[in-house]
Amino acid sequence: MILDRSRDIGEFVPEKDDDLIICRCEEITKGEIRRAVHEGMWTMTEVRRYLRTGMGLCQGKTCGRNVKAIIAKELGVKPVQLEDCRARGPARPVEMGTFGDETEACIEE
Amino acid sequence: MVRYDLIIVGAGPAGLSAAIIAAKQGVRTAVFDENERPGGQLFKQIHKFFGSREHRAKVRGFRIGEQLLEEARECGVEVHLNATVMGLYDKKEVLVMADGETHHFKADAIILATGARENFIPFAGWTLPGVMGAGAAQTMVNLHGVQPGSRVLMVGTGNVGLVVSYQLMQAGIQVEALIDAAPRVGGYGVHAAKLARLGVPFYLSHTIVKAEGTDKVTGAVIAQVDEKFQPIPGTEKHFDVDTICMAVGLSPMSELPAMAGCQMEDKGGAVPKVDACGETSIPGIFAAGDAAGIEEASSAMITGQIAGIAAARRLGYVDEEMFEAETDRLRASLQKLHEGMFSPQNRGRNDFTETDEGYPISQSLLHKGYMEDQEITRYPGAVSGKSGVHPVIECSQNIPCDPCQDACKFGCIRVGDEITRLPCVNEEAKCTGCGLCVASCSGQAIFLVDETYDEEHAAVTLPYEFLPYPQAGDKGVALGRDGREVCEAEVVSLKINKAMDQTALLTIKVPREMAMTARFFKKKEA
Repeated sequence: MILDRSRDIGEFVPEKDDDLIICRCEEITKGEIRRAVHEGMWTMTEVRRYLRTGMGLCQGKTCGRNVKAIIAKELGVKPVQLEDCRARGPARPVEMGTFGDETEACIEE
Repeated sequence: MVRYDLIIVGAGPAGLSAAIIAAKQGVRTAVFDENERPGGQLFKQIHKFFGSREHRAKVRGFRIGEQLLEEARECGVEVHLNATVMGLYDKKEVLVMADGETHHFKADAIILATGARENFIPFAGWTLPGVMGAGAAQTMVNLHGVQPGSRVLMVGTGNVGLVVSYQLMQAGIQVEALIDAAPRVGGYGVHAAKLARLGVPFYLSHTIVKAEGTDKVTGAVIAQVDEKFQPIPGTEKHFDVDTICMAVGLSPMSELPAMAGCQMEDKGGAVPKVDACGETSIPGIFAAGDAAGIEEASSAMITGQIAGIAAARRLGYVDEEMFEAETDRLRASLQKLHEGMFSPQNRGRNDFTETDEGYPISQSLLHKGYMEDQEITRYPGAVSGKSGVHPVIECSQNIPCDPCQDACKFGCIRVGDEITRLPCVNEEAKCTGCGLCVASCSGQAIFLVDETYDEEHAAVTLPYEFLPYPQAGDKGVALGRDGREVCEAEVVSLKINKAMDQTALLTIKVPREMAMTARFFKKKEA
């Protein structure tokens, strides 16, 4: 089981490129992501909520794949075994003024 | 709420093709696209496409975009631009943002043709300005007329890396090298050969180690990799570049089907599970083009049409008989593109040693980007030692393409019905030297050679797509397939007409023994 949390994934071992930024929008490094896994964040969604990876302007379109690869490697599994974060609207960045301005009239127009 | 029969998300090759075929059956169709211009990635594709005539082969990508738009207009498709689809919800409700407002639409069928995004690999310095996707660089050069830099390192030798590198060179930008972690060139050999003869080196089994610079890219370091793709210390090489382009694959844009609750699977990125017509696990929601699995534009146009006709059937506009006939035709057309060593089912394989016909595949082409001189005449399209002008076709891989056989009115070139076969030159047929085959070859792999041009010289006619054009009488040097200067050369003529569509035929005069070696011309600096 990939998410059998009683499984021992070993200690966090520092790597020399831990300061590499992976999520550009939120400036989250490889080391922070790896450390989060050792702190118990084993899914894309957990890491996202813990560190805000993929929560910036690009919504994970650039970094999602790379974040997933790092989590998978740390867990000793293949990236395809990990689920993506839940996709939700809005699928593109939108101003709150626009998004929040919906009225019944707008929907029924 | 406005209702349509069919809503298509994305006005690229898949989306427009789907819209056209559905609208022709009377389906009330709307296409939404977030960009200010339609066509998806087509309008930045300035190269000639591969395939057969039915796939619009030898037509430049942006012209295919123009054709699709014209057809869409003629059959009454509504194309909404600057209209971003923000969500896809229950009962096929689509949320669109346009003009700073949100709008809700509904349709009985939806086709998702949202395309793909570029992958990135992180490395030291990858967040510096000057590191960009190859597609971004292509957009800057071909749509906006802006040079992203002056010296480029291209990471990735798939067709995107190869095609964009060549187009950067056409735009006057020096591509210093192409690198790839894989041990062989990933894209078509003919695309690689176009770069190699300009003198651009290939470093296979190499990865990028870092981008140098503090405020922007001022250099790049690459290193050779071992079998586990780890850099080997001591193999580093430095390049003075101001731009690093990443062409390391694409991922499907699949937020909308995931949001709608379609069952998903991983095919080099998340895609909705689809049946043979592109229908997802939710009846009436289809996916087509790269959004259903990464391929290229020619396939996307066909998968778009399949989804379009299937949607029309679901809506009751097409009867079973017509549906069967159309999908059979389209699948046969798609299958033609899916043959050969580069087909989607062979992705990632690098163990090909022979062509389908049994000719050895040039290892030099796979590892250095060009064929060795002595390898050329192995292939059925290349003969030497003939008197008079004749074509030399340097086509050595089974890629789906056959415009050369239509180009020659005298039956000199034959590919056959299986379009991945290597072209054969019929030595009985008379070559008139018209050069239409040279201009029609999307891979720029056909040359006309006249080994008996005069007492001492041979004439070589080559496809030429750089400005300014050389003129008759210009003197310079001929470059070999590896881009090295091989001999003096003089321009005999430069021919260009409408049928050639911007591919000029440059004929140069070289010493006779260089007839099978000289493959490019560089003008001597005045």
